[in-house]
Amino acid sequence: MGFLTRSTETAPCTVEVCHTFDELSAHVRLDNGAVINPGDTVQVHGAPVLAGYGEHITEQRTATITRASTVEQIWTRLTGDFEFMELCEFSFSEEATL
Amino acid sequence: MNAHAKHTADATTVEESLAIQQANAAFDSKAATDLAMQNTLLTPRFYTTDFDEMDAINVEPVRKDWDKLIGQMKADPNKGHFKKNADWDQIDWEGMDPALKAEFLDFLVSSCTAEFSGCVLYKEMKRRGNNKDICELFALMSRDEARHAGFINDALREAGVAVNLGFLTREKKYTYFRPKFIYYATYLSEKIGYARYITIYRHLEANPEQRFHPIFKWFKEWCNDEFSHGEAFALLMRTDPKLTQSFTNKLWIRFFLTAVYSTMWVRDHARPEFHKALGVDIDWYDQEVFRKTSTIARQVFPLELDIDHPRWLPNLRRMNDAFLAMDRAKKRGGLGGLLGRAAAGTKAAMAFVALYTIPVVKNEVPAQVRLEPSY
Repeated sequence: MGFLTRSTETAPCTVEVCHTFDELSAHVRLDNGAVINPGDTVQVHGAPVLAGYGEHITEQRTATITRASTVEQIWTRLTGDFEFMELCEFSFSEEATL
Repeated sequence: MNAHAKHTADATTVEESLAIQQANAAFDSKAATDLAMQNTLLTPRFYTTDFDEMDAINVEPVRKDWDKLIGQMKADPNKGHFKKNADWDQIDWEGMDPALKAEFLDFLVSSCTAEFSGCVLYKEMKRRGNNKDICELFALMSRDEARHAGFINDALREAGVAVNLGFLTREKKYTYFRPKFIYYATYLSEKIGYARYITIYRHLEANPEQRFHPIFKWFKEWCNDEFSHGEAFALLMRTDPKLTQSFTNKLWIRFFLTAVYSTMWVRDHARPEFHKALGVDIDWYDQEVFRKTSTIARQVFPLELDIDHPRWLPNLRRMNDAFLAMDRAKKRGGLGGLLGRAAAGTKAAMAFVALYTIPVVKNEVPAQVRLEPSY
């Protein structure tokens, strides 16, 4: 990770998608213990994992981690807090008019 | 959509119910490939935080209350509740007023996404933390949120909306939340969620003819989960008095309250048909939700917003006008649109400052933290 430059690395990962009546969830776990820091991006390769209704899918995939530059990391640390509103049920539509 | 598929709630035997579910599953995958169903991609946020700081939390000062709460959550009183039964009335989606349908679907999708985001955040906390108490709490909360998301998803499927979880393979950027922001934000979102759902539930209990969809019948148990999640964060905030008592943190709490309340005001006013169908006056409903949330939050916050102040409602309305102007400017585009956006942004910021500077009501937090849902 540079001050202004990004770097990338790949990591094996496990994708778990559960699309059942009792649970709707989707998670990615990096299997080599790589740690995600503020501002980093993660892209899981391959076709979208689409679990049909009633399915619980676990797949091994590869992910590319793009490490944020130091500047981006600091910026994310300073501003990320303001995205807290996303946790509220009433915040997910973009517009004030539907 | 599912009009031809019989509902599981109508099944009289297990075999019949299973057969219906299988038929539905086959129908769903076919419909999804035919794009006969409206495909909604969930777009939750991804967060990271200071995990060392979270690991350092010590719940010993509130151990007795903590163990009791975790015990209640482990006992899982709502297990099996979030399934459809005979109370789940059939809905004539085709016959629903299109404007109402659009707003109601937006309500369901945003509820589902919020539950889903909570689920992702809590699971990540659980996975990366090393503190046994904290990991246990986050695992339980993640379970509840995934269950709620599943239940809303089921209602969406009936309406012909397939939730797409394909977002995982898109590039995801991880944003950062300081632990204390997680406490304030999740505490507030859980408690305000409780106040919102219980207010609608009680209103529909008194006016059952306005209940245009059966999902509202499940709101009570649903919001009791939200309530107990909020309790857990209240206890967490009590483990360190600085979190709620220092000068800077009081300003942050004030900021959070103002931001959450004003966002809710703007968002709810974007759904006029939805509230009209419920027979709910939006101004009344929002004030009622603020009042309940503020009363509950006395358990942990040293201040509350003065929502009866003469500057409160006028500036919320100003805020809403600013957001409407912002939407119009975005649609207009070009240089005029850009200037319009700047003007609307300034107006919104001024309204926010006017709300933020309303003198707050001070509150002495009680010795006893825990509350039970009582509305």
